[in-house]
Amino acid sequence: MIYLDSAATTLQKPPAVARAAANAMSRMASPGRGGYPAAMAAADTIFACRETAARLFHVPEPDQVVLTMNATHGLNLAIKTLIAPGNTVLISGYEHNAVTRPLTAIPNVTVKVADAPLFQPEAMAERFRALLTPEVSCVICTHVSNVFGYVLPVEAIAALCRERGIPLILDASQSAGTLPVSLEELGAAFIAMPGHKGLYGPQGTGLLLCAQPGRPLMEGGTGSLSMLQEMPDFLPDRLEAGTHNVPGAAGLLEGLRFVARKGPAHILTHERRLAAQCVHALTRLEGVTVYAAPRLAHQAGVVSFRVEGMDCEEVGARLAKQGIAVRSGLHCAPLAHRTAGTLETGTVRASFSAFNTPGEVSALVRAVSRLRAR
Amino acid sequence: MVYYLIVCRSLTYAQRTAAVLERGGITGVVLRAPKSIVGEGCGYAVKVSERRLAQSLVLLNRAELRPKGIYIAESDGSYRQVGP
Repeated sequence: MIYLDSAATTLQKPPAVARAAANAMSRMASPGRGGYPAAMAAADTIFACRETAARLFHVPEPDQVVLTMNATHGLNLAIKTLIAPGNTVLISGYEHNAVTRPLTAIPNVTVKVADAPLFQPEAMAERFRALLTPEVSCVICTHVSNVFGYVLPVEAIAALCRERGIPLILDASQSAGTLPVSLEELGAAFIAMPGHKGLYGPQGTGLLLCAQPGRPLMEGGTGSLSMLQEMPDFLPDRLEAGTHNVPGAAGLLEGLRFVARKGPAHILTHERRLAAQCVHALTRLEGVTVYAAPRLAHQAGVVSFRVEGMDCEEVGARLAKQGIAVRSGLHCAPLAHRTAGTLETGTVRASFSAFNTPGEVSALVRAVSRLRAR
Repeated sequence: MVYYLIVCRSLTYAQRTAAVLERGGITGVVLRAPKSIVGEGCGYAVKVSERRLAQSLVLLNRAELRPKGIYIAESDGSYRQVGP
């Protein structure tokens, strides 16, 4: 199988990831629940995970790196910390349901949408500037669209938030591990990211980088202040009730080490080359519409396309029959499709990782051309 | 052997404390804090040798890490608070 769905989950991982997860399953107990070697081994692994992430994403202290189940979990924590019923929130027009559904669940929230056209970052920054009015209490923005790979101007948006004193939540689901993500430089309140995409960790892992303590979604045991019936007021305990996913964290640690060793910029360059190759070749096929940024810097390793006269799900199914895994449909991001004008049709998405090759991209293009020949 | 326990508010804080000490060339072992000295239940401490305490406190102060308490292990197995 040629796997081109890394925007959902990177399937190919560094071998050390699975080895570390398996080792943790058999040799590690629960951190914070005992002083015996198996518990302390778990504690050391989780601390190393926090420290490695803190270095990679410029988080002042490892306590501020909270382990989550995925980016959605982290976004829920951040959103439900900062947004109360009746608040007004400003989001980009390219947000995932992981942002829009939690907002919908909070009563009477007014959501303003900065909905500038695809691959026009200057226009997007301008929309944020115009819509960031005094009643807005929080800004939420994805770093990279999971549908189109569009790199949003988050540095400009973050600067605007800092200037106006508005907290920013960044969804780094598609950027962590490739683009620069810095809690300190952006001055964001929270940055959420999955462990299982560009960080090459196992599914069921994620990180929330916190500039403030946050409001728990769950209460329970933390291994600290056990006599108190309220959750601790300090991180990471405040947001980490219950037993940790230790095998997941052990695998994620190896994924983080892989990214740190290779360098996010190096991985980004590789993925962008594949995306550029994909765009160039698909664009030459008659009847194929490709969503490509005019400038390479505005697109990450994700390419959406449509095939004239074919339902996107049919394209995905036929490619799967040829051994190529892509994602079709709305990608859990109807807002992004609405903004880009593809809500009615959906798109087919190919997304790349450090493990994909130019030969695999060529195979995708050949397979799409065979669809067209039918 | 006389040793001190630097009691921390959480496991992660104790790990940060031990990491700072290690970077300063001091061995600090993270362990469960004795129940008798953790009023709020379940805590962690960093064990350092007697001769390293003063230097440890300098390092922690520099790193802006604030121990919840510092205890000395008495010969009878009890603990006596000596700071902060």
